[in-house]
Formats: sequence, structure tokens, C-alpha cells
Amino acid sequence: MTTFWPIALITFKEGIRNRAIYGITLVALMLFGATALVATMVPREVGKVAVDMALSTISFAGLLIVLFVGINLMAKDLDKRTIYTVLSRPISRSQYIIGKFLGMILLITVTMSILSLLAITAIVMLKNIHAGYFTRFSWQTIILADGLTVLMLIVLSAISFLFASFTSSSFITLVLTIITYIIGQSLSGVKSLLEAPSYEIGFSVSPVTVKVVTAAYYLFPNLSLFDIKLQAAHALAVSPSFILWTVLYGLVYIVISITLAAIIFRKKEFP
Amino acid sequence: MIRRTIAIAAFLLILASLHVIALGRSTEARKQLPRGEGSAIVLPSALLKIAALEFKGLVSDVLFLDSIAFYGGTLNREERPRLKEWEWQWLDKTLSASADLDPYFLDPYLFGNAVFTWEAGMIREANDLLAKGSRHRTWDWMLPFFTGFNYFFFLQENEKAAEFLMEASRRPDADPMLASIASKLAFKEKKTETSIQFLEEMLQRTDDDLSKQRFRKRIEALRGILLLEQAVAHYQKRYHVKPHSFEALVAKGIIQKVPEDPYGGTFYLDPSGSVKSTTERELMPHRKK
Repeated sequence: MTTFWPIALITFKEGIRNRAIYGITLVALMLFGATALVATMVPREVGKVAVDMALSTISFAGLLIVLFVGINLMAKDLDKRTIYTVLSRPISRSQYIIGKFLGMILLITVTMSILSLLAITAIVMLKNIHAGYFTRFSWQTIILADGLTVLMLIVLSAISFLFASFTSSSFITLVLTIITYIIGQSLSGVKSLLEAPSYEIGFSVSPVTVKVVTAAYYLFPNLSLFDIKLQAAHALAVSPSFILWTVLYGLVYIVISITLAAIIFRKKEFP
Repeated sequence: MIRRTIAIAAFLLILASLHVIALGRSTEARKQLPRGEGSAIVLPSALLKIAALEFKGLVSDVLFLDSIAFYGGTLNREERPRLKEWEWQWLDKTLSASADLDPYFLDPYLFGNAVFTWEAGMIREANDLLAKGSRHRTWDWMLPFFTGFNYFFFLQENEKAAEFLMEASRRPDADPMLASIASKLAFKEKKTETSIQFLEEMLQRTDDDLSKQRFRKRIEALRGILLLEQAVAHYQKRYHVKPHSFEALVAKGIIQKVPEDPYGGTFYLDPSGSVKSTTERELMPHRKK
């Protein structure tokens, strides 16, 4: 831990100093303001819309942080060649990658906690004004949904580390990460669509497509698993076993990605 | 220096006014562009679900707000019927899509039910929407209650109505009256009284003023019919014959006067001895051809 910690701390500080963080927080603040505005336009389920918007804002802002702050943090050392000075110190390349990633986890957790506090403030304010329209409401599920969103962002960040370990530019990493996010969020939807009987979807699917999608299903992170915003918005029951298996899935995916990233990074030749 | 400032200010002022003009003209001209009117295409829910990524709840909210904004925009239209056929179709599809993305969202169901039944006569569509909501919101007795009401009021299928009311009465916090109304409907017992009871129940659940007005009027008409029915029964019990007309009831002092039909018609006794109104059709809401 002692070898990772200085790198993690530097990474975190570097991230939090990034100007983009302010921009993203500003966007989030504006969206929280919009939450109050939009939620009151709905005749009945003000609470549902408020929770929807607040949680979606957290997700969206977190996504921006992973894509535009996180990837930069990883790439900067390579782009600016500061990696040489770091690697000349007595730490291994794997330690460097793990340290960086721990810093990234710290950055995501801290920024998401701040955003969550803002979101909770927005919901509390709306709840006080429109108390009668928050009939089905549970803080527990909202916090749970928020926590799973943070885990989803960490998984995505781990994948971006893997991409960064073998690509030569941060732009390619960015594109690959965005594509992975989109695939990860839509994968289970596509899979269940293809598995539905053809009379229901109105077109037939070739067996090759099904195989490709099934392969992708196991290869790409299944990010939609971490999305329980709907359940949070309606205070629906979320089983402990679902939470347990999902968290385990997330952790396993993170460890695999970072291990692979470390292995590839160790073999990498710097120009 | 001052001159330069004035020149820049004037230049910016000109640009600003040009900006306002261009915006206005462009908006005007845009209204003339072909808008794909006449088609009610909404992306299929299966695709929307995938495209919405992790923001399904949000997309559902947006679709719902879209449909109420559209409906609100038609409120001051002059032409009758106010909405064209394809516009109703679009509303139906958009609300269904919103409900597919978040099947627990109450508002699309209530809004769809309110506009499809009274205005469009799209009772089946309203019931389909309510059925979807009822399947997911298992804790909510209002949705099967509304379905039952639609069967009773618009489709005059009392057995079906009774079925849904029973379903509603089994759900948590349901009004205890529902079960009794349901059983009376099913056994065709005291039809007028049951109808009044049902409508009063409905009146309590309605926020919208126009619907409230409609229900009150209907209740008033049914109360008039109930009064006359009871008077006829009373007359028959006393004189062992059916009265020829309501005047006979007044003459014998059973009722003080014949109540007025709030729809503007008059009540009459048909040959079989049951109470009818000349505005019978008004009592029944219009149905789609």
C-alpha cells in the first residue's frame, strides 16, 4: 500500500485541480436546478421525476468525469513524457498503474459524494414543498442506486485504463471508452431483444448475430446491471442477493481489467 | 476612445436587433416546412429502451411531458374535432412508449385515461394503457378501478366492470365500497342506485373540473330517475296498478313535482313502466364509430 499511496494521492490532487471538474459541477448544479423545474410540471409523481432526474444527473456528471478527467489523468504522463521521471523512481510499472487507478477511485468517490449531497439537497427541498407527491419514496433505495452508479463508473474507469495501456493516444482511449459505455448499457437490452421470438420483434435474426452478441455479452462490462434508478424512483424492492452478485461482478471486472492493464503496460515500449 | 466605445455599442445593438429579427423570421418560416404531419411515428419501445441507455426513467418523463405539452397546445384550437385522428394515434403511442420505458410511472396512465375516454372515445386504448399500469403497479387500486369504471360507464359491460372492481377491492387501501358496488353490478341489483354510488366514488377520485362537472350532472340525472323509480314502486304498492304518467304521482301526493332532467330533456314512463329520459343519448357518452 505504501508504494501505491503517493501515486494515488498525486493522481487525485491532479484530478481535483483539473478545471473540467468545475465545469462538470456547474452542469450538474444546473441540472439539479432543472430537476426542481421539471418535476413540478408533472401532475402526480413529482417525487418519481425528481429522483429520476437527480440520479440521472449524478450518472451523467460522473460519466463526464471518467471520460474527460480520468482518461486525461492516465494519458497525460504518456503524452507529456513525464512517465519517464515517474518510472525512474523505485516503483514497478504495475505499481504505477494500480496507484493511478486507486487515485482515480478516490477522485470518483469524492466527486460523486459531493454531487450526491447536492442531489439529496435538491430532493429534500422538493420533498418539503410537495410532500403529498412523494408517496412511494425510500432513501435507502436511492442511496443504493447512487452507490451502484459509483461502482459502474469505477468499472468504466478500469476499462479505460485497460484501453490506455495499449493505445498510443488518449483520444483513441476516449473513443473506445465511449463505445464500451454505450455497448455496456445497451447490451442486455439487445440480447433480450434477440432472444425474443421473432414474431414479437418483427424481424428474424441470423444465428451468427446471436453468437456475436452473446460473445460481446461476456466480453464487455454489463453496465446496465448497475442501473437501479427505476427501482429507486418508485421505492421498489431490491433483493440483497442482487446487490451482492452485482457488486461481486463489478469488483471481478475491475480486478481483471486492471490486471490486464498492468500486464500490457509492463510490456509496453515507450517511444 | 469614447467614440470607439460608442461605435462598438452601436454595432452590437445592430447585431442584437438583427438577431431578434432573424430568430423571428426563421421560426415563422420553419412553421411552413413540411413536418411529416399525418403520420404518428414513435420509435418502437424495444428500440427506445436500448437507445435510452441508463436514462430510461428520464426518457419516460420526457415522452410524458412531450405528450402533455402537445395536448396543452391544442386546447385553444378552433376546429372541431380538436385533434385529428393521427394526433390521437401519436398521443397513444407516445404515452405507451413512456409507460414501456417506466411501467411504474403513474402519470401517463392517468393522463391517457382522462383524454382517451371523454374526448376521443378511445376506450379500448385507455383500458389497454390502464391494464399495463395495473400489471406493474400491483399496490395501486386506482388503475383497475378506472378500468372498471370505463367498462361500466362507456362500454356498458357491467360484468367486466364488476371483475375489475373486485380486482381493485382486493388491493391494499382500497375503498371498502368497491366490493359492494362490484357485487351489485354483477347481480344487476338496484341498477340506478349502484350507478349513483359508483359515480360518487369516481367524483371523489377526480381532480379535473370538467370531469367533475360531467359526473355531477350525471349523478343529478340519475337521482331524478331514482326518485321517480321509487315513486312508481310506491304507487304500485299502494294502488296495485302501474301509474300512467308522472302527473298521477304528483296528483296522489307521492312526489311534489317531477324532477328536471339536467340535460334539458324530460323524464317519461315507457310502456313497460320503467323511467326513461328524452335525453337518454346524452346520458351515454358518445362512442367512436
